[in-house]
Amino acid sequence: MPGVIAFLCRCCGEIEPTVDLPALRERIGREEGVAAVELRDTLCLPEDRAAILKAFEESGADRILLAACSPYGKVGNVVAKLSAACGNDRSRVRLIDIREGCAWIHRGDPAGATAKACDLMRMGLGFMRHGKQSADAVVSVRPECLVVGAGSAGLAAAGSIARAGYPVHLVERGAAGGGMVKLLSHVYPTDAGAEERLAPYLEAIAENPLITFHGKTRVAAATGYAGDFKIRLASEKGEKNLRVGTVILATGAGVWLPRGLYRYGELKEILTLMELERRQREGKAAAKRTVFIQCVGARCPERPYCATICCPSSIKNAVLLRKADPDAEVTILHRDIMTPGHILERYYRSALEAGVRFIRFAEAQPPVVLGEGRVGRVEVFDAISGLTREIEADQVILSTPLVANADNAKLAELFHLPLDGYGFFREDYPLHPLETRQAGVFICGSARWPVASGEAVTQGEGAAMKALSILGRKEISALSMSRLPEGKLGHARIEDGSCSGCGNCVAVCPYGACALQPVGGVFVSRANKMRCRACGSCTSVCPNGTVQMPEHNARAVGAMIRRAFAEGDAR
Amino acid sequence: MLELLNTIREKAQTLLAERRADGVLCLGGNRFNVVQPRLLHKPEEVGSLEIAPKWNLAKLAMQMLRAAEKSYRLAVVCRGCDERALLELGKRNQIDASRMTILGYTCSREQAESCLCARPYPENPAAGEKIAGVDPFADPRLSGLLTGDDGERMARWTSLLRRCLKCYGCRNACPICVCTPCKLEDDLWVERAAVPTEMIPYHLIRAFHLSDTCVACGACQDACPVGIPLMALQLVMRRKLLERYGYEAGLQADRKSPLLMDFDHALPAGLTLPAWTVSSEVSHER
Amino acid sequence: MNSQMTDKTPSPRVLVFACRWCALVGADAAGRGKAELPASFRLIPVECASMVEPDSVLRAFASGADGVAVMGCHLGGCRFNDANHVAVKRMEALGDLLDTVGIGRRRLLLSFGTAHEGRQFAEVLEAFFRELAPLSSLAAWQKPLLNQPSFR
Repeated sequence: MPGVIAFLCRCCGEIEPTVDLPALRERIGREEGVAAVELRDTLCLPEDRAAILKAFEESGADRILLAACSPYGKVGNVVAKLSAACGNDRSRVRLIDIREGCAWIHRGDPAGATAKACDLMRMGLGFMRHGKQSADAVVSVRPECLVVGAGSAGLAAAGSIARAGYPVHLVERGAAGGGMVKLLSHVYPTDAGAEERLAPYLEAIAENPLITFHGKTRVAAATGYAGDFKIRLASEKGEKNLRVGTVILATGAGVWLPRGLYRYGELKEILTLMELERRQREGKAAAKRTVFIQCVGARCPERPYCATICCPSSIKNAVLLRKADPDAEVTILHRDIMTPGHILERYYRSALEAGVRFIRFAEAQPPVVLGEGRVGRVEVFDAISGLTREIEADQVILSTPLVANADNAKLAELFHLPLDGYGFFREDYPLHPLETRQAGVFICGSARWPVASGEAVTQGEGAAMKALSILGRKEISALSMSRLPEGKLGHARIEDGSCSGCGNCVAVCPYGACALQPVGGVFVSRANKMRCRACGSCTSVCPNGTVQMPEHNARAVGAMIRRAFAEGDAR
Repeated sequence: MLELLNTIREKAQTLLAERRADGVLCLGGNRFNVVQPRLLHKPEEVGSLEIAPKWNLAKLAMQMLRAAEKSYRLAVVCRGCDERALLELGKRNQIDASRMTILGYTCSREQAESCLCARPYPENPAAGEKIAGVDPFADPRLSGLLTGDDGERMARWTSLLRRCLKCYGCRNACPICVCTPCKLEDDLWVERAAVPTEMIPYHLIRAFHLSDTCVACGACQDACPVGIPLMALQLVMRRKLLERYGYEAGLQADRKSPLLMDFDHALPAGLTLPAWTVSSEVSHER
Repeated sequence: MNSQMTDKTPSPRVLVFACRWCALVGADAAGRGKAELPASFRLIPVECASMVEPDSVLRAFASGADGVAVMGCHLGGCRFNDANHVAVKRMEALGDLLDTVGIGRRRLLLSFGTAHEGRQFAEVLEAFFRELAPLSSLAAWQKPLLNQPSFR
């Protein structure tokens, strides 16, 4: 093979005298396969690149080894540009860090630092003998989107995508869209009527020819990858197959029923907030004396979270009750009132102005609901005044949290997504909001975490924007499926003929990129280049090294391991 | 013992007579009365079927199923360890369990003590009564190999493993070791033509690969010509898997190894990892 | 070119596998902070801690390492969605095997942190060196590297 040309950088004096560069040059020059070793003052200045390329061509080498600062230093950019000169094969240019990783941390041991620099360079040479390049795959993007769930988030997402000019399949398990807002009478903080709020979104799906609404339909199967998901929908009318470029999950959340708490189900006129909303819609919510109890089944050991929407919802209903009847007594018993931001803070204060009473209780001393047959009164220890109060009540409203939709588990399995400890879809934390572990699958709204409809709409539109960044492309290459400009390192490659079909790689891949296929009566693993993210987990569990990432294969790593301590061997 | 043998012979005969199996893999005497693996096809052949000595047939069963036509159904007369090995092979997609019938029989007290076996019986034996197993860690033959501090154990194990001739007997005999090619023959991992064998790469790589799938059949140890107590390497890891994850290889067909699954879940308690600082990166509770 | 034998005993030889997200940037930060560390460690960057094969750790012990460190992102912060848990679970099991044969799990360091924690990276490595220093040599396990052409 032609060989390697090595460049040692003085880094303007930052590397010497700790590392003896002339000695290093001489030693590396004696290595097998090294065509030339050059010592330069810098490698990162504009004039350096031309000089490096010239020396590279003249040497007849086909690979470049650089010894300089760390990849996060200036020379990191140089590496990318030099790979371009080597046919865009990143395995042919390697940078060895002898500054941050050597000279700067071993200033008290120049001999040791020089020996280490030598070992590191020899490790790099060994690596480059075996580094290879992954074959890329290019897929055409299906310019259509699947949105699962036609609540606030799903309606917003579908609308955004359709307005951008792409067809949307909007799948809803119910007969019509609207989600949870359909069950409300008004939405906060504007107190707009729920139907009024939903109307423009529902009109859009009815009128926009790009949106196909599938009512009473569920997703039965899903395979494929970003750009080309193969979806099977199931409904009473039968099955339907789709191919879409992206998927947005907007399946919302459910409301927790407070069975066993505060005598719910035992006494009449103890309602959940949703039941109150239904009465509001029917005009039957009025009562002389209403008591709301907050944090029912929330912020407790089983569900140690705040569901965000219950305080503003109770305030909304409390104010509506007071407005409908100025003589009505309305009390909200709470642990804390969660109304962040200036709009909701004003909303809270308007409740005070409207004559709603707020009484704080401590978690350890919850209120007690009393009555025979129907609710009579509520006894609460007021944590601020220290007095026990008895409040007469004609109806008690229990504010319960939103909990994960029971369908999430099935969808998570179909799309190979994790759920968090509460059953909500787990986001690709921390820097990729609305994205999931699977490229091309997005989450928004209460499917992701309990939110009110305004926020759900925001997230739906956000997910749509992210989906459009895929839908708007004609083609995607597998190696570009990374969030970094330089793309993925490579992807998993399975050697023909040596896979025993054990399934270890299938089990361990976070992205479900490996799958067993029947080939001639046995199972063999296949890696999907689009789903693979090049983490390398599969390579470390394969019993005989069948699956490798060419850019970081076992022979290359093995060469590094064996050369690591050769020079320093005093035994 | 004779009753056990007769029961197995009868059941094998019935399987063949009723054509519920095309062949019965078992041990049998040949015409010199030497016992070796046999494949019986006709009901009348069961007279030569034997169930002693201990001889692991799982790998042979796998190879036979591979070589035969797809429709061939094999019955295997075997002990508990073989049954567990076959289950693990099924989990790794090496055999199609629907083509196999297991005629399992229990081991005697002497056999269990000889193998230091904690489970000397198949789950549903076709013959024999299950007896209580032996706790290998209570036996000095094992515990003696695990005592001492790091230095003492290192001295002991280096002298034991230094006997190794790299005959590959352990790898060949092990029912779970089926990879072709095998890492232990790859110059990248184990230096070729090097005797004494590079101990760490050969034995520890093999031991680790089997950590979550070894069924403690002892075939490796039985096969070793220089008497290296290879089981000792596996039994500690098996016990740790049981302690940490409640997992035992060879028992549950539908549970994959915890070292390959459940990475989204909380890690087992008792792990101490020197954290750089307390992590402030917390996602939704697990 | 051989490191000089000084009055001090030679520093333990450590091979560090560092994931190129948190661990490698943490190492880089330690470098920029000019931490002073023993020169007897070598660092191999990997995509993720999960990519480090236990077999590679064993190969490192066989090829001259006194200790091996596998370093990655904080648990819960893995760029590849909890793939670092793969490393934790499997390396822990490897530790059991190392204990059985007397190499000892103390020679295998598993540590996770974040990119800006450069000082802490240095501290963890220094603590590892101190822990390794009194341990007996692994020479009995390691075949001397002869002049074999096989893997240079």
